[in-house]
Order: sequence, then C-alpha cells, then structure tokens
Amino acid sequence: MKEKRKGPIARAAGLAEGVAATVRRMQREREPRILVYDETGYARLVQPEARGHERLLEIGEEMVSIAAGEDGERPRHRRAGRVAEKPRRRTKRPASEDDE
Amino acid sequence: MAGTLTPERTAARLCELSSDARAAVLLDAAGAMVGFSDTDKERAHGLGDLTRQLLETVDRATRDWNAEPAEQIEVQVSGGAVFASRTPRWTLAVVARRAALASLMLYDLRAVLGELEGGPPIRRSTSAAEGAPGPATEEAAASESPVPELGHGAESEDSR
Repeated sequence: MKEKRKGPIARAAGLAEGVAATVRRMQREREPRILVYDETGYARLVQPEARGHERLLEIGEEMVSIAAGEDGERPRHRRAGRVAEKPRRRTKRPASEDDE
Repeated sequence: MAGTLTPERTAARLCELSSDARAAVLLDAAGAMVGFSDTDKERAHGLGDLTRQLLETVDRATRDWNAEPAEQIEVQVSGGAVFASRTPRWTLAVVARRAALASLMLYDLRAVLGELEGGPPIRRSTSAAEGAPGPATEEAAASESPVPELGHGAESEDSR
C-alpha cells in the first residue's frame, strides 16, 4: 500500500512525481512503434532492430503524409538527414481596439 | 439493417464512425482497391499501394515468428498512426490522428469488417436532442420493457 504523504513538501514532491511520470508516458507514447496483433488480440512489438522495421515506419509516414494532405497536420520526419519541421506556433492575437 | 454495407462504402463508413480517422481504404484478397474514403482518387490509390506494401513488409518481418500471420497492424509515427485489419477476404486500413486510441481504432476496424461480412450492423446512439427514436420522457422510458421481445410476448398473452 502506498504510504500517505502529509506535509506540504511531500505533497509538492508527489505532484512533481506525477507530472514527471506523465511527461515520461507522453514521450513514450510519441515514440514510433509497430505492433502486430494476432486473431486473439495478442500484441507483439516489432523490435527496432527487426527486419523490415525501418521500411514499415517509412510506409507509415508516407501514408500519414498522404492522408494529412489538406488537414495540414504534417509529420515530423524521424530519420537522420531530414530536418524535422517545427510546427507553427499559433499565438492568439490580443483583441485591439481597431478590431472592434 | 444487415447486409447493407457494400465494399465501396466500407472505408467511408469507418471514417463516419471514428472522428480520429482521416482516410481509409479497403482492399480485396488480391490486393486490389475496392473502396476508399478520400474524394481524391490519386491520394486514395497512393494509400492503397502503401497498404499493400505495409502488409507485405509485415508478413516478411514476422515470417520467422512461429506464430499466425498478423491480423491487425498498428504503426505509430510522429504525425499520426496507421491501423490495418484483415480477414481472409478483405483488408481495411485507416490513417488516424496521433491522438487516436489504438484499441478503439482496432475495434472499429474489426466491427466494420464484421458488418461488411454480413455481421450485425454497428448501432450508433443519438442524443435525445437529435431526435432519437427512443422514449423522451422518464415515464415513457419506465413503461418500456428492457427486453422488447418479452414485453410484446406478455402483451400478446394478456390479450388472449
């Protein structure tokens, strides 16, 4: 059973741990990966060193970029040699008096 | 209604069901494209070709695994995800947004393929505000039998 934290420092530490875990989980989820499922739903990961792994990711990226087309949600390329495209930052323009 | 989903409509049906689906294609057992959700045929054919390559590459990669051929495939890349599901007759592939839940997408793929192969149609719920056919009031809902067949049976027995 998890020990209950009581003090303010301990509570802050608990929060920080939670945030760090979330960031780690999000990073892990963003990593390119390939999973294959059998008919029972059992999943197996295609390891990065496995034959065809690189090609499968390339195909996936191509499919995503084709489908993105008009959506404008473009993939950032993972391979070395290609420059990762930085997503455009959308900043909300403060409403000025001229707009009104 | 059972049996109303045609191969030509299948890809579009999947995109209707899932808001995370961006484009989908349906291939037959020979690898020929029979349906797509995209209005742009060129893009659809591109997706169809890549789906064929994806499945071939997966089969090559997993040949030594001493397991059944993969039925479903998930490829997560930085800009989105690709999911594919196949039956002996059909292969349905979809490109989804990065935030799409893999389990839901795979479930939808299987459900749509099941419907195409004559399985039960996928039921979609609509809210009362959209004019759902169900009872709109609590009284009407309370009077309705949770098992309609039993309700009708009881009525008919009463009338005898």
